[in-house]
Amino acid sequence: MNYTKILLSAAGFAISVSPGAFAADIKVIANSSVRADTISAAELKLIYLEQKNSLDDGTRVEPVIQKDGQVHKNFLHEYVGKSDDDLQTYYRTLVFTGKGSMPKELGSDADVVAYVSRTKGAIGYVSAGIDTDGAKTLGIVYAGDGSQRRLITRVEPRYPETLRQLNIGGTVRLLLTIAPKGNVQNVDVLGGNPILAESAAAAAKQWIYSPSPSRTTTEITIPFDPSH
Amino acid sequence: MHRQIARLLLVCACLSVGPIPLHAQDFKLFDRTVQVHGFFSQGFIYTSGNNWLTMSTLNGSGAFTDFGLNMCSQVTDKLHIGAQGYDRNLGQLGQYHPSLDWGFADYRFKTWFGVRGGKVKTTLGLFNDTQDLDFLHTFALLPQSVYPTDLRDATIAHLGADIYGAVSLKHGLGDLSYTVYAGHRSDSIYSGYPYYFSSFGAHITSFGGLQYGADLRWNTPLKGLLIGASRLNEDITGKGSAVNPFNPGAGLLPYSEASKADWTNQLYGEYTLGRLRVDTEYRRYWRNEELVTDNSESFADIRGWYISGAYRICKRLQIGSYYSRYTITNVVAGALSAFYPSTTDTSQPANHDYDKVITARLDLKRFWNVKIEGHFMDGYGSGPYPNGFYTQVNPQGFKPDTNALVIKTGINF
Repeated sequence: MNYTKILLSAAGFAISVSPGAFAADIKVIANSSVRADTISAAELKLIYLEQKNSLDDGTRVEPVIQKDGQVHKNFLHEYVGKSDDDLQTYYRTLVFTGKGSMPKELGSDADVVAYVSRTKGAIGYVSAGIDTDGAKTLGIVYAGDGSQRRLITRVEPRYPETLRQLNIGGTVRLLLTIAPKGNVQNVDVLGGNPILAESAAAAAKQWIYSPSPSRTTTEITIPFDPSH
Repeated sequence: MHRQIARLLLVCACLSVGPIPLHAQDFKLFDRTVQVHGFFSQGFIYTSGNNWLTMSTLNGSGAFTDFGLNMCSQVTDKLHIGAQGYDRNLGQLGQYHPSLDWGFADYRFKTWFGVRGGKVKTTLGLFNDTQDLDFLHTFALLPQSVYPTDLRDATIAHLGADIYGAVSLKHGLGDLSYTVYAGHRSDSIYSGYPYYFSSFGAHITSFGGLQYGADLRWNTPLKGLLIGASRLNEDITGKGSAVNPFNPGAGLLPYSEASKADWTNQLYGEYTLGRLRVDTEYRRYWRNEELVTDNSESFADIRGWYISGAYRICKRLQIGSYYSRYTITNVVAGALSAFYPSTTDTSQPANHDYDKVITARLDLKRFWNVKIEGHFMDGYGSGPYPNGFYTQVNPQGFKPDTNALVIKTGINF
């Protein structure tokens, strides 16, 4: 690894260590049959708790979990709010009272990518840096002020060519302040590589959301995958 | 006793020999995945003072076995079906007569509205629907003041329908889940109440009736805190034969009893913080029944509560403790009052059971656990509604205190 890569990676790591920083290490992926490009954190939690099995747009989804490992722990902590033991107890409660099924459990990132790629409606999570060819990456949208607004216009961020050549990727977390009319008034960087974050923020400032009676805040993640 | 300990050790030995591929199974049927899951548990109880839970526990008893097997499938996006068979032997109860534990179709229209129809586990408090599932709990025996294992049939399931759902509250106020249900409860004649009644020379042949109620639980904005309330109403009829207490020599006569008012209120809370979990519940069961044959009426007021704490020391080891408090009062009106005097003094050992418990749970493998538990009980709360202590297995009379050692092991897949 050359000096530039070490420096850029270290800068990214330093800024990403904050509450909720686990999100930057995780990428949520879905089968190509899933129409949505983003999913709200609240919806993701409901899907993993089997309280919901289709997205707001009607697409049926099937959650996939990992057996163990740091990505698994971080995902549960960040998005489900349960430890692995608690989640296992929860799923067994569903299974043995007839109120749900045990989700597919896979042993590694590669297994998850392979299963999600070939299984209609599958949704899973893997390390942010892993190659997820064959599956699409979903952006995570966090609802602020208790309201959830629909994204109408999304401008994709530019991938800085230097970082792509150096194979540096990751996930950027942003806090957007959205005006009642739907335009993004302000963008705060919460985590991720600063160069990627600059590009992500520039794109997010051009996004348009559905109108709302009041100004709201929304936390989002934008993944950067150098292999794409 | 030695044979029973040997059986327990045999279960452990079989499970510990080599890597056992104990996994949930699934197969395809009409292009749908069908999952198969099961569980088995075996316990051993040794007591001082009294025999407990219809077993000869003073000598040590391993007549404490249960198991179940279920199949389920997600048929469509919204339709889920499944069924579970269950069987158990607990001393004189169950006696290996299998039953359909649950079996229903579940159609979820929306997150906030779904319907289940068939035989459905009754949602009542934190653990009513999971009380048989040993592997889900830290304790070998749940607090008997609220979840008496000898009376599981009374609340475990109903043949009918549930309406259920969950909604997220605005302004970050957490989530609300609700269940509303109605159906028919039917007790096995091998359950605690018919067994209790047999001590009076009665033989119950059917016991059950309408059961309806609701549960509301709130996942509060304070992370890890859940609070809730349940209500259950019942209209129960029991039939069979009994000795006429006014003329014992006349032999068995037809017997019937019927609810005049029968309800349960349950309040509960649960708090988890990291590896610590604290649960507390309060249950009040009011039972006013007409003893039709004897032209009498009884009013039983049964109250129980507990507080429990469990801490996971490491992935494999969990420790826990609870204090459980049970009281019963009963007033009999009519002709039978001459034979069964009212019991209203809950300070008497016959009318209460205060249980202090410590537990260690060891998860030897992901699918296999062993629990060791100590119970230190004050009182035996023996009637007129049973709670673990029965005269049939204590013909010498009851002693005020009972200590118990419970060892239990279970597997699930």
